[in-house]
Amino acid sequence: MDQLYSFLENEGVDRALLEGVKAFRDKHPTEGENQNRVPQPEYYYYGKKTWELALAAILAGKNLLLAGPKATGKNVLSENLGALFGRPVWNVSFHINTDAAYLVGTDTYDGNRVSFRPGPIWLCAEKGGFGILDEINMAKNEALAVLHAALDFRRSLDVPGYEKIDLRPETRFIATMNYGYAGTRDLNEALTSRFAVLDMPIISEENLQKLISRRYPTISVKIRDQLVKLYAELQRKAESAEISDAALDLRGLLDAIALMEQGLSSGDALDMCIVNKSFDSYERGLIRDVICARIPADLTRNVVFSQ
Amino acid sequence: MIKKQYSGSARRARNIIWNAAGRYDFDPPFMAFFSNGHPDQYFNMVAGLVQKWLDMPRLWDFFLSYEGDRRADEFDDYLWLGLENCVYEKELPERPILESLRRERGELFFVEMQQMTRQQMEYQSMPVFNQQEYRWASVCGRRPPLLTPREKRISEALRFSGSLDTDGVIAAMQAFLQSFFRITPGDEVRIRKANPLARLLFRHETKRRDRLLVRIGTGEGDHEKARQQRHAGLGRHVGPSPEDRAYIEAVFGRLSRTPEELRVLENELCVGPDGLCRLWITKGERTSTEDKDALEVRESAERQAKRNEEFQAAHAAMIQGSVRALSTRIETIFSSYFKHLPEQARAGRIRPEDAWRLPVLNDATVFLKNGEETEPEICVDLLLDASQSRMHSQEVLSAEAAIIAGSLAKIHIPVRVTAFRSLRSHTVLEILKDFGTSDCRGLLRYYAGGWNRDGLAIETLGRLDDETAMQGRQRILLVLTDGSPNDSTPIPAEGLLLSREYEGDAAVAAAEEAVRRLRASGVRVGAVFHGNTGHLENVHRIYGHAYVRIQKANQLAQGVSDLMLMLLREMRTD
Repeated sequence: MDQLYSFLENEGVDRALLEGVKAFRDKHPTEGENQNRVPQPEYYYYGKKTWELALAAILAGKNLLLAGPKATGKNVLSENLGALFGRPVWNVSFHINTDAAYLVGTDTYDGNRVSFRPGPIWLCAEKGGFGILDEINMAKNEALAVLHAALDFRRSLDVPGYEKIDLRPETRFIATMNYGYAGTRDLNEALTSRFAVLDMPIISEENLQKLISRRYPTISVKIRDQLVKLYAELQRKAESAEISDAALDLRGLLDAIALMEQGLSSGDALDMCIVNKSFDSYERGLIRDVICARIPADLTRNVVFSQ
Repeated sequence: MIKKQYSGSARRARNIIWNAAGRYDFDPPFMAFFSNGHPDQYFNMVAGLVQKWLDMPRLWDFFLSYEGDRRADEFDDYLWLGLENCVYEKELPERPILESLRRERGELFFVEMQQMTRQQMEYQSMPVFNQQEYRWASVCGRRPPLLTPREKRISEALRFSGSLDTDGVIAAMQAFLQSFFRITPGDEVRIRKANPLARLLFRHETKRRDRLLVRIGTGEGDHEKARQQRHAGLGRHVGPSPEDRAYIEAVFGRLSRTPEELRVLENELCVGPDGLCRLWITKGERTSTEDKDALEVRESAERQAKRNEEFQAAHAAMIQGSVRALSTRIETIFSSYFKHLPEQARAGRIRPEDAWRLPVLNDATVFLKNGEETEPEICVDLLLDASQSRMHSQEVLSAEAAIIAGSLAKIHIPVRVTAFRSLRSHTVLEILKDFGTSDCRGLLRYYAGGWNRDGLAIETLGRLDDETAMQGRQRILLVLTDGSPNDSTPIPAEGLLLSREYEGDAAVAAAEEAVRRLRASGVRVGAVFHGNTGHLENVHRIYGHAYVRIQKANQLAQGVSDLMLMLLREMRTD
C-alpha cells in the first residue's frame, strides 16, 4: 500500500484526497482473517484525473461504475482501489445466467437441515469489503434487482427467510462494464442511478510509456515509444471497425515485452501476444501490416533491452 | 507502382494507407499493388503518409489536371517517386523502421526486375523504369544504371525535399512537368477551384430527371465508381406527378395494397421531412407497359437476377455453410438464452418457503428445476437498401439476404424480405419474400438503383404489420444498410427553415427519428452495416449500439447472430 500511496503522490494526485485515504484506512484497519483478500497489484493504473475522480467517489461513500471500452484499465483500477484502501476484495464475474442466488447466497440441504451459504455480495457486506462487479452489464437486469437496496441509501441486504444485514460502512461496490461491441448492452436506469459513473479514458501515449517503463525499466526508449505508437495505431484501427478489438490487448503488449525479455524475437513475441489473438486469418494479416510498419521482426533481447 | 484501382486486395491496401495516415475517414484515391495483385506495403504507406503530411485533395486536383494526357500514367509514376522522397524525409524521425522498409522495397524492385518477362518489359515505360531503378539502386547501395544527362536532371528534380509543404510540392510537380515535358497543368484545377457554385448548378441543370441506372461502368471501383456512389448520375426531384406514378408502376410492378390503404399510409407517414414523398408497395407483379425507359430497366433487372443466380450457384457451398452456421447459432441463442420456466422437482434449487414440507410431510419436491423451454414467438423483417450505392455488391447482398432469410426460415421463424429504394419522389418497397413462404428464390430479384430514403422506408415497413403470420409475435426488423441515406426529393421548407436536400446530417436525423418511433412502438430494430468507415458514425447515430459491421460474407453468421442476441436480450430484459 505504501508503494501505491507514494506512486500516487508522485503522480501528483490531490493531497487532500490522499489524506482522506489515510484517514479511511486508520478508521477501518484490515482484519487479519481477510488480509489475503487485499489485492497486491502487479500494475498500477496511470491517470491522475481518473484516480482523483475515483478516490473522491469512494471517500464520499459512493459505489463506482467504471465504464469504457476494452483495455482502458478498469480491472487494474478496481484492484488498485482495493489495495489502496486496504480492503478485502470479492471479485464477481457477471454472465448471462447470473442470478440473485449466485450473488447473495443460496440454500443447501445438508441431510439434516436447510442452511444458507452466503454469496460474495453477502460476504462483502458482512466483512466490509470491496465488491468488484466485473462486466455488470452482461447480466440480466432482473437478476440485479436484488442489489438495489445494497447499492442505495438503505445499504442493506435482505434475504427472505433469513436475517436482514446492514452493510458495514466501509463496504463499497465497484462495477465495470464494457461498451461498444455486440453482446453487451446498457444498464437500466434504476441500477445506473445507484453508481457514480466514471467514463474510463483510453490510456494516453504518455501514460502507456510510463506503464511500460515502470514494468520494464531497462527497455530501450526508442523501442518503447514505437510499441506505444503501435498500440495507438491498433486502437485507431479497432475504433474504425477495420479489425475487431481482439488484438487490442494491453496485457498482450506487456506480455510480448516479457517474452522478448525471455529471449524471443520481437516478431514471434508480437505474433503470440497480439496477432494470434485474432482467429480470422485475414484480420491477422491486417494486424501484421500495422506491426510491420513499426517494429522490425528480428529485434533481439539485446536490442530491446539496451539500457 | 501506384495505380488508380481497387482490386481484390483493396481492403488490405486501404488499411495500410489509413494506418499510415492515422485516420480512417477518407477513401484513398491511389493504392499500390504488385504485379501479382498483392498490396505493396511500402508504397501504400507512402500514399498514407502523403495524406498525413500534405493536403491530398489539392494534390488529387493536380493529378486530375493532366488526366486527359496520354502520358498521364507515366506522369503519375514520376510524381509518386518525388512524393515518396518527400514524405520519407518527413516521417523518418517518427518512424525509424521506414529506412529498412524502404531498403526492402528497393530490393523487391530488383527481385521483380529479374523475374520480368520480355513482354512485361515491353509494357514498361523505360524512362520511368530507369528512374525507379536509379532510385532503388541508390537506396540499396547498389550500382546505379547509367543515365543520360537529362535523366540525371529528372532524377534530381524528383528528390522532393521533406521540408516542402503542399504548396511547395505542387510547385515542384508543376515545375517538373513544365521543364521536362512542356506540360502546363492547372487549367482544370482553376475551373474546379474558381466556381464551385457553377459546378453545383451544372449538376442540377443537366440532370433534371431521375433515371434508374443499373450497373454503369466497369464495376471495378475505378474513379468512375466513386462518382456513381455519390449519385452524380441522378438529380433533384421535387414532388411526384401522375406520370411518375405510372412510371413507378411500370418499373416496379403492381401495387400490392389497395389504393385506399396506401393513401392512409401516405397521410400518416409522408409528413414533415417526407412531406413531398409518396409510397409504393409492391410484390413485383409486372404490368404491361410501352414505356421504353421502364422496359429498359426491367431488362437490366432481369440481367441482374441472372447474375445473382450465377453468383449463388458459384458460391453454393459457402452459402449453404453460412446458412447452417447461422441457423445453428440462432437456435443455440434460443435454447441457451431464453430462461426455462422453473418447475417443482426433487432436486435443484431449494424453495425456502416450502422447505418445512421436507421433514413434516416427507415431501422432497421442495426444489426447483428448469422446466420446458419457453421461447418468445418472434418474426423477422429484413429490409435491404437497394439504392444505387450498392451497385457494386448486388450479387453479394442478394446472397447475404438469402443466407439470413434461409437460416431463419430453416428454424421456422417467419421472415419477410423487402428491398427499398426511392425514385421520382416515391419510396418503393418491393417485397421479395413474404412471410407465408419458405422459398427464397424471390431474393434473386434484388438489384440496386435509385436513392435511399431510409427513414421513410423503415417506418413504412414498420406499419405493414397486418399479416397473419405476425399475429402474437414480437417483431424484429433487420436493415442491411450502407449508413448513407440520401434522396433527390428534398426536405420541404418548414417555418423559417428553407427547403433542404435529403442528405448528410438532415437525412441521418430523419432516419434516427424513424427508428426511435418504431422502437417506441415495440419493434426491435437492428442494422447489418455493409459500407465505408466514413458512414460508421451515421449507423451508430441511427441504430445506437444495435448494429454489426460485415465486411466479408463469412463474417455474416457471427455478426447476425450477435445482433440477434443483442435484440433478443433487450426483448427479454424489458
